[in-house]
Amino acid sequence: MKTLFRYLWLLMAGCMLAACSESEDENPNGPTIDPVDPPKGVYVVNAGNFNASNASLSFYLSNERKAFNEIFVKANDYKLGDTAQSMAIRNNTGWVVVNNSHIIYAIDLATNKEKGRLTGITSPRYICFLSDEKAYVSSMYSDQITIFNPKTYTITGTITVPKNTAIAGHTGSTEEMVVIGKYLYVTCWSYEKTIVKIDTSTDKVVATLEVGLQPASLVKDSNGKLWTICDGGYEGSPVGYEAPVLCRIDPEKMTVEARYSFAKGDYISKVRINGTGDKLYWLNGGALYAMEIGAESLPTAKSLNADGYLYALTVDPKTNEIYVADAIDYQQAGIVYRYSAAGELLDSFYVGVIPTEFCWNN
Amino acid sequence: MKQLLHTLALLFLVGQAATAQNSIDSLIQIDEVAVVGRRPMKQIGVQRTEFDSVALKEHIALSMADVLTYNSSVFVKSYGRATLSTVAFRGTSPSHTQVLWNGMKLNSPMLGMTDFSMIPSYFIDEASLLHGSSSISETGGGLGGAVKLSTRPKEYDGFHLQFVQGVGSFETFDEYLHLGYGNDRWQLSTRLVYATSPNDYKFVNRDKKLNIYDENHNIISQYHPTERNRNGAFKDFHALQEVYYRLTERDRLSLTAWYTASDRELPMISTSYAEEEEIENRQREETLRTLLGWERIATTGRLSAQAGYIHSWSAYDRRITHKGGSSEEGDAGLPDGTMEYSRNHLNTLYGRFSGEYIPSERWLFSAEVAAHHHRSRATGKEIIDSEGAHRAGFKEHRTELTATATARWRAMPWLGVGLTLREELYDDELSPLIPALFVDGELIRGGKLVLKGSLSRNYRYPTLNDLYFQPGGNPDLKPEKGWSYDVGVDWHLGNKERLAVDGSLTWFSSRIEDWILWYPKAMGYYTPDNVKEVHSYGIEVEASAAWRPAKEWLVELHTSYAWTPSLNEGDPFSSADRSVGKQLPYVPEHSASATLRLAWRKWELGYKWCAYSKRYTLSSNGESINGSLKGYALSNLTLGRTLSLAWCDLSLRGAINNLLDKEYVTVLSRPMPGIHYEIFLGITPKWGKKRR
Repeated sequence: MKTLFRYLWLLMAGCMLAACSESEDENPNGPTIDPVDPPKGVYVVNAGNFNASNASLSFYLSNERKAFNEIFVKANDYKLGDTAQSMAIRNNTGWVVVNNSHIIYAIDLATNKEKGRLTGITSPRYICFLSDEKAYVSSMYSDQITIFNPKTYTITGTITVPKNTAIAGHTGSTEEMVVIGKYLYVTCWSYEKTIVKIDTSTDKVVATLEVGLQPASLVKDSNGKLWTICDGGYEGSPVGYEAPVLCRIDPEKMTVEARYSFAKGDYISKVRINGTGDKLYWLNGGALYAMEIGAESLPTAKSLNADGYLYALTVDPKTNEIYVADAIDYQQAGIVYRYSAAGELLDSFYVGVIPTEFCWNN
Repeated sequence: MKQLLHTLALLFLVGQAATAQNSIDSLIQIDEVAVVGRRPMKQIGVQRTEFDSVALKEHIALSMADVLTYNSSVFVKSYGRATLSTVAFRGTSPSHTQVLWNGMKLNSPMLGMTDFSMIPSYFIDEASLLHGSSSISETGGGLGGAVKLSTRPKEYDGFHLQFVQGVGSFETFDEYLHLGYGNDRWQLSTRLVYATSPNDYKFVNRDKKLNIYDENHNIISQYHPTERNRNGAFKDFHALQEVYYRLTERDRLSLTAWYTASDRELPMISTSYAEEEEIENRQREETLRTLLGWERIATTGRLSAQAGYIHSWSAYDRRITHKGGSSEEGDAGLPDGTMEYSRNHLNTLYGRFSGEYIPSERWLFSAEVAAHHHRSRATGKEIIDSEGAHRAGFKEHRTELTATATARWRAMPWLGVGLTLREELYDDELSPLIPALFVDGELIRGGKLVLKGSLSRNYRYPTLNDLYFQPGGNPDLKPEKGWSYDVGVDWHLGNKERLAVDGSLTWFSSRIEDWILWYPKAMGYYTPDNVKEVHSYGIEVEASAAWRPAKEWLVELHTSYAWTPSLNEGDPFSSADRSVGKQLPYVPEHSASATLRLAWRKWELGYKWCAYSKRYTLSSNGESINGSLKGYALSNLTLGRTLSLAWCDLSLRGAINNLLDKEYVTVLSRPMPGIHYEIFLGITPKWGKKRR
């Protein structure tokens, strides 16, 4: 019986894969290179396994439905590194943050070749641009945000964020960032519980808001409000364990306007928002959920019937199409599923080990 | 502290040497090649690989990981000297290899596996591998097999002293001191090993490039830098004390204590751009294993009882000191920048009673009961809030009871049958009956060609970390369970005076269900689950030859080879899962080793070789740039000679490792050292010894 079940699974898998688009086509370095107008599509940051240095960068040409894998190592002839975390784009330059290699690479999006690099940051996670000359980097194992100049590849300063838990040896932690006007908002995630507001003209923390245990994601909606989800920690965590909560925050007053509580034990991650800023998406226990920003209560049904345990998520800012990634067993190339805004499966493509973040170049 | 111990040890050496009355014979003993006329009853149907003392005592810088690499076909996964080195049989995982030291389990009850780099080969007098089912008569949980290690009493008459100093590349120093004393009732032995090295070997870093810029910060050129192994230093100290006392003709008491103090840095990965000073990644361990034993040997059997105690403390720290941060210990006792911090305390009480009864030449019965009681405490980071201080971690204990009974029957002069039944109790969870059946039959009389086979089922219980680790431990895990069989032939041809040729060829197959795998959850931490079903099968071949072409000449060759497909046959995680039917990651399909030894008078030349085929790093066996590691072969050469002076025996030995200066990795992003050297000078005084 078990064997029969397994064969059915394999048969289903075969059918699914037959519908999959081809990755790795004739041009291994990526799509046709146009130095003036780099290809449009989405980059997939594959974290790889911790300490294995098998992080990689994939690119998906959404119009042509073609995926290109390992584009960094193929263009540069050295490894991307260990535990890639995120990517940000400014002026046709992609900035790839490789957390456990302690490096940020700047690559030319037309060639995928390195243009420069930034080292000396403790545990880099995300980049947020203020201007062509100023950007911020958050750090998982540090209470500091690093300020750097993307033009000169130099670190110009740091901002120390207050630590809010008294674990011995605790490093502090900063995670996702959003700029609204002249303020930078940062979630303090690992063993932390606050969102901080930084005045970018003075680079000083001007306000701190306690939201709940371990706020990670941060997005801005069409009303100018911020949304985060506190994951609630885990059982036995030194800082405690509580039910995850989705929060809407007024960034001016720095108050929590609305709280939506999940069940204790739910695994919530990756809050993302669509291009029009009126619909939120997140993952709960490997499934995708969506909610209009004006909704009274949390959705009860999941929003997609995707196969597998979803690990990463993005929404195409132009088309509202949904891309979700399954890391499968975390020891093989993961897969990305592309759905229409209405939830119809459009395409799927294999990427690298543990696809963790997306970055749009539309 | 360790430096002090080291100094004390040296002082002790000098003191002992001055009072030494007697000494014993020369350093290198050329062991006689064993050619078995008839298979011993105990080995009916058993697949066993034995290591001779030449392999174990080749030189003092070797750990058991090195011995197994070059003298067997098991897969040793290691990323350099003094780093975690694990051993896997027949395509299984390291936690499926059970390790016994004088009958006591060495596997960490928390991690499940054994670090073979922590076992100096000079501490082991007898070592053998029990493949697959053959481990069941000795221990449970060896789904791949077991490694059996023992220390044995010497037969000293008077004092014995030996000191060896090794000096090698990368400022590596190895010291070994052995003190012995014996008479017809007592045998005492003290062995000390101390090894230190910054281990900062050079390599060309193919995983990185450094940039050369023009004045406008444009990259004009890039190159792979030549780097040193960073953060790879180690200091390991081991002491082994043995006391044997002959109570009566038949009874012997023994006390054995093995103390280990190890302080090792964990080398930085090849893709790290952090400065070495910024990173602290260190593992420390202090372990004391003590064993008290009684043994009675009679013509119709043997009885033995053992009581043991293990205390182990281990610490792991990963820390980064960034600009503006402080590496001073903060108020709460931990330095700033601590990313990972763990302290494990483990206390194990052990008891075993076993007996053997041989009523006639045709029957052998043996039975054993053993108990291990583990008390473990794992602590992580700490929080201090209004309710006081809390620590992350767990405090758990577990009692493991096992009972084994074996009957072996020589049904015909040429046919032997054995049956082992085993029962295990983990706290209140009783295993199903674990049976193993063994058969062998002589095809050519005198044990020249023997056909043998075995069939068994086996279980392995989850480790304490699998069950309780925080975060992630899964208390609902089931034991892993497996069926396996093997069938093969053994041959023992020729004679030891001229040319002896021994060997074996075995086919094996095993299925393991509910294979425990750790994988990350959405919250960013790993958790274990019973997810895989693995079918491993293949062939193991061993062949050796010993040739004495002329007086004072000996040529010995030992080779081994294994073909080990080990396939994931579990249910797919999802429809996109491409791992089903694929080779497990980091299990080479082919592995081989060979050693060649030439001995002439007091000279000895040794050549060692090992080879592994490609290892996949991904469960899907995907052919991406990081998806597999190239196969490689390594060669080592040693040359030694002994000198007999009036007052001492001297031995001088040189070793060239990685003779062909091969660039290779065994684990992703862990480049290994190129050619490197070590020389050893050994001295064994003969004070007071009568001239022969």
